Parts: sequence; C-alpha cells; structure tokens
Amino acid sequence: MSEVQRRKYSQEEKNAIFDGEFMPHIDSMYNFGYRLTFDEDDAKDLVQDTYLKAYRFINSFEQGTNAKAWLFRILKNSFINEYRKKSKQPAKVDYQEVETYYNSDDVHYQSTSDLRAESVKDMLGDEISNALNSLAVDFRTVIILCDLEGFTYEEMAKILDIPIGTVRSRLHRARNLLKEKLQGYAQNMGYNTDEEE
Amino acid sequence: MEMNDNPSGERKMQCSDENRCFELLESILDGELQDSGKEVLKEKLAKCQPCFEHYHLEQAIRDVLKTKCTKHAVPTELADKIRQQIQEIK
Repeated sequence: MSEVQRRKYSQEEKNAIFDGEFMPHIDSMYNFGYRLTFDEDDAKDLVQDTYLKAYRFINSFEQGTNAKAWLFRILKNSFINEYRKKSKQPAKVDYQEVETYYNSDDVHYQSTSDLRAESVKDMLGDEISNALNSLAVDFRTVIILCDLEGFTYEEMAKILDIPIGTVRSRLHRARNLLKEKLQGYAQNMGYNTDEEE
Repeated sequence: MEMNDNPSGERKMQCSDENRCFELLESILDGELQDSGKEVLKEKLAKCQPCFEHYHLEQAIRDVLKTKCTKHAVPTELADKIRQQIQEIK
C-alpha cells in the first residue's frame, strides 16, 4: 500500500468512497480469500481485516483509480504477512520446486499434449475447482486474478509486486500445471489420451 | 527441422517454438495485445496445428473456470459486521 498521502478526505468523502468504491467488491474479495485459505472463517477474517485496513489508509487511495486492485493488494499482503504466519504454512516451498521443474523447456508441451478442449468442456465444476485448488498458492493466485477476476497483467503486477514479465511467465506455468491436473481427470473420465511412446 | 513451407495451405503439424508461441497465444487470449495480437493470432491459427489446438484448449479452460468455478456466497452478516467495526473506529 502506498504510504504517500495524496490528500485528506472529509468524513463524507470517506464514507462515499468506502460505500461506493470499496464495498461493491466484497463478493470478489470473499471469493479470493476463500480460494487462498479454503476456510470460510479465515476468508471472513481476511476480508474484514482488509476492509478495516482500507478504511484506515483511505487517504492513500486515489479516488477514481482502481479500487478493486487496491483492495486485492491489501488482502494479498494480509494473507502473506498474517495468515500464512498464523497457520505456519511454509511459504513458497512447493512453488520453488515446481518453478525449477517448469523452467526446463521440454516438459511443457509433452505433459499437456493429450488434453482436448472437448474433454475440458465436459468436466464438472467440482473437478475444475479441485484442479485449481490443488495448485501451489502462487500459481493459483495468478489464475484467480486473471481468469476469475479479469485483472490485466499490469494490475496483477501491482497487486503481486512482481514485474509484468513474471506475471506472464507465471501464468503460463500455472496454466500448464492446471492442464496437467485436468488431464488426470480426463483420463479418469475414460477419454482416449493416446499414450503411445 | 522446421517444416514450415506449406504451399497447400495446410497447417504445419509441428510448431518450432511451442513455449514462446503458446505464451504469446495466452497473452492474446488475456486481451494483452489488442489489434496487433489479432493479426498474429489469425496467422498462427491458420498455419500451425499445435497453436490451433492450444488456442481452443485454452479458450475452453477459461470458459469452464469462469462458468463452473463456483463462487462462494458471501456470508450475509459480513458486510454488516464490517460497517459496524468502521463505525467504532470513526
């Protein structure tokens, strides 16, 4: 969150910004919180915490700029700084491993070449959701921000504090991993996956 | 290596640089390249079978993510609780 205070809002302005620009995003915020924590109470805490911080730092929000991206950034930081610490989840352990693996170029296509668009279309919501949830949190996050919430790469770069190039490559890897999971479901569904070697 | 010449107009069956091409296709699908992207996309889809398949697969995955990834309903009391706490710190 930017520490620069652009100006001070009056009490009426604060209320107007909070109700008009912040609260309409509560559904997306809760969905994001839930997909990060997989727990309704934790998601509620994260969202509540985010809105309280947003109110406290409202003077550093520039009216008319992207409130949703600003709020998502606060929620993401709260998740990293507080929730992960509380739950003693090791940060980035699985990510590092996966990142190294996927930096090797020849892995990419091989692993996903069997998955067909038709079999994806037939999948159930639960299967898609489980596949997404099974990804390491950094990969899951970029797919949520891009495909579920429709943020641009530039907005994602700001939310995640990473360069746009990293957004692009992380998304690409996240999608390869997601396809790998989906391919597992497709095989279970009995689709012919042409395994000839 | 690259069997790119296709006077018959058929798509080549192998893409010489899948990783770069697929990453580019994904950027286009994500709406990051606007008009210049559409031209590149048209050409790739017409000339390269792996790109063609990848594009349709990616499109299908985006669709199911958007439509089938169930959104969790926000607990009704959450918004009220937030407003109440804001009142307290005002």
